[in-house]
Amino acid sequence: MTDRINNKDKSPADLVQLEKSRLDKTLGETLRSQGISRRSFLKFCAATASMMAMSPAMIPKIAHALENARRPSVIWLSFQECTGCTESLTRAHASTVESLIFDSISLDYHHTLQAAAGHAAEEAREIAMEENYGKYLLVVDGSIPMDNPGYSTIAGISNYDMLMDTAKGAAAIIAVGTCATYGGIPHADPNPTGAVSVGDLIKDKPIINVPGCPPIPVVITGVLTHFLTFGSIPELDHIGRPKVFYGQSIHDRCYRRPFYDKGLFAETFDDEGAKKGWCLYKLGCKGPTTYNACATAKWNDGTSFPIEAGHPCIGCSEPDFWDGGGFYKALSMPTANITETAIYTAAGAAAAGVALGAMNRSKKNSAAAAHSDTTIDDLEK
Amino acid sequence: MSASLEKGINALKEQVDSSVAAFFSSCVHCGMCADACLFYTETGDPSRMPINKAEPLRRIWRAEYTLLGRVGKMFGMTAKVDDKLLSEWETLVYDSCTLCGRCSMVCPVGNDIALLIRKTREGMAAAGHAPAGLIGATKRSVTIGSPMGVKLPALMAQISHVEKDTGMKIPVDVEGAEYMLLLSSMEIMNFPEFIEAIAKIFDKAGASWTISSEAFEATNSGIQIGVADIAKVLVQRVVDAAEKLKVKTVISPECGHAYMAIRWEGPNLVGKPFGFKVRHILEILDEFRQDGRLKISGKEDQRITYHDPCQISRRGGVIDQPRNLINMFSDNFVEMPDAGKMNWCCGAGGGVSSNERADEIRLKVFQRKKDQLDEIKPDAIVSACSNCRIHLEDGLEEYNMDIPLMSLTETLAEHLAD
Repeated sequence: MTDRINNKDKSPADLVQLEKSRLDKTLGETLRSQGISRRSFLKFCAATASMMAMSPAMIPKIAHALENARRPSVIWLSFQECTGCTESLTRAHASTVESLIFDSISLDYHHTLQAAAGHAAEEAREIAMEENYGKYLLVVDGSIPMDNPGYSTIAGISNYDMLMDTAKGAAAIIAVGTCATYGGIPHADPNPTGAVSVGDLIKDKPIINVPGCPPIPVVITGVLTHFLTFGSIPELDHIGRPKVFYGQSIHDRCYRRPFYDKGLFAETFDDEGAKKGWCLYKLGCKGPTTYNACATAKWNDGTSFPIEAGHPCIGCSEPDFWDGGGFYKALSMPTANITETAIYTAAGAAAAGVALGAMNRSKKNSAAAAHSDTTIDDLEK
Repeated sequence: MSASLEKGINALKEQVDSSVAAFFSSCVHCGMCADACLFYTETGDPSRMPINKAEPLRRIWRAEYTLLGRVGKMFGMTAKVDDKLLSEWETLVYDSCTLCGRCSMVCPVGNDIALLIRKTREGMAAAGHAPAGLIGATKRSVTIGSPMGVKLPALMAQISHVEKDTGMKIPVDVEGAEYMLLLSSMEIMNFPEFIEAIAKIFDKAGASWTISSEAFEATNSGIQIGVADIAKVLVQRVVDAAEKLKVKTVISPECGHAYMAIRWEGPNLVGKPFGFKVRHILEILDEFRQDGRLKISGKEDQRITYHDPCQISRRGGVIDQPRNLINMFSDNFVEMPDAGKMNWCCGAGGGVSSNERADEIRLKVFQRKKDQLDEIKPDAIVSACSNCRIHLEDGLEEYNMDIPLMSLTETLAEHLAD
């Protein structure tokens, strides 16, 4: 990426040509030319293998695969989003091997990061698509407005048209962030733009959902590494998330879990329990229903994660997390205002009960009225 | 007028009340009642699961008294009650249930399943689906005065035999006596020693008693067949006689369902509280014991066990009294497994013994009683229900077991101190 920025003065055609020459190099060669030692490269491979719950025997395999991988072309499309996902990816681990890996993929189109603008930018996308048809990776962040295409356009092309056009030649699609994976905040009630997710629109391509608001950077690079190493997509859960990162709930891996098990809860943000680091369940923590790697991978280079900072998990990697009835309401509390519903239901049920009771009583009374004494002469037919 | 499906269905509609609705609504289909019923455990036939026996009543409740059932009925989707169903259920309701109430004890949601089956019988009988044997017994009860056809002269003959044997006067129609004794036909015809035993015990205890020539029969076939109208007629006879003789207490004899009929169902049937008390004979005897009015000499050392008649122990609560009494004359009393309120039925109560069609199954399910007895191998069995006694004798003979059976009252009388 730094390369690209330094190449601001070059024309789009020159840039593509430069990329082509770089594509001939393997990833290993590129890394070495960037001054990355083999030792730190293997460290990255080992960390990735353990992150993804692979056996140590897989480390050489990952190293070998990465070293020899041709740098794939990646097209990154941003739709209705806040750029937080890109921020997460590019800023958090600024100087790690992961970011260099990213340098070493051929990021041919990215609204925020690319040097080119206007027609040149779109041309770069078209050229990349043509050159690598059927092989490039498509990364999407942001949701797609279906209500009025004018809500979000790029170079006069609606998000929907651009997505469908670019998806055609993609080998696989990685939906990054909760907006792209499940509609996210644009999709939240009342969903004014008619926002939908990538998976709602594309059914004929492998899609890897990497939700989170934003997703953990190492999870994004982990998924990319998996794709580069094995040439396939990792095992996914029922809503398309890689199981290695989203297989366990925050709650199950939370370091505050022992307090939950003991029934020790912080009741407010400044009480004794909060100071002692007790469970945040009663303050609305969505950890029990949220599947993500925050509690293990953590954020900011493994420094911390929201619960460790004293704030309940808001469940950002789950569909419709924005409509969960309030971030500070305990999971056990109803999401809607039920008092009125309960009163009307009870009144309705009571009225129905009285009516049914009256009907039943009259039925029984008429049965009693129809009763004729049974005598011994009435026992046989 | 004769029995008809229409009358049967109307009778079932009348039987549905808040308990019936609550019971059927709360059934969780757990099947625990199955293992409590000897007709299921000894045959393994799932249709004999207790709650299933009340199916005709359940269908009426659902079709007539529930919202979903009514809506379903409009579209022909609610199960109906027809003659085919009732004839299929006849053997379940009458032959495979003694109304022993063991199922009601185990029901985890507290459903009185025996009550549901008792109520189902109301519809079965009104629809003409009662067994011939029970219909015969019921007719004899109403016309002759006893299900076995025992008339007053037969009783008087037995009384004069007893008077001759003992030299004691058996009081008949004595106004103002404290106790009025009822008798089951079984006792009059098969066990007249019972009358003799009562005479001796009451004489020693110094209690005044009498037998009514107008209402001496304790059994109530109306209860067994399931016709409240007839049961009421039979109860009314006892009430009239007791009021006429101005007795304080009516004694139900050694008969299970007779006690339930007169004590628990009786006031409800006639629709007002009795002006006299109703007690089981064992309750009276235990009162005598507590008051020191019973003097016993000599103790037996043979292994004696007690068979709890369902309607007296489980449904009647008379559990401690027989044990207190037996311990007066026995040094070696042993309990059967499951004794007391969870005792297993002999297999012939609730009208089963009047129903010849059920002879085979009642002897088959006796296996349960045999298993109980095999575990403790008693030298003798004491009981307090003539119906249990007759059937236990049948069963012991069928299974080649040689254990003598004794009436508790008679055995007690034999041990009276001179």
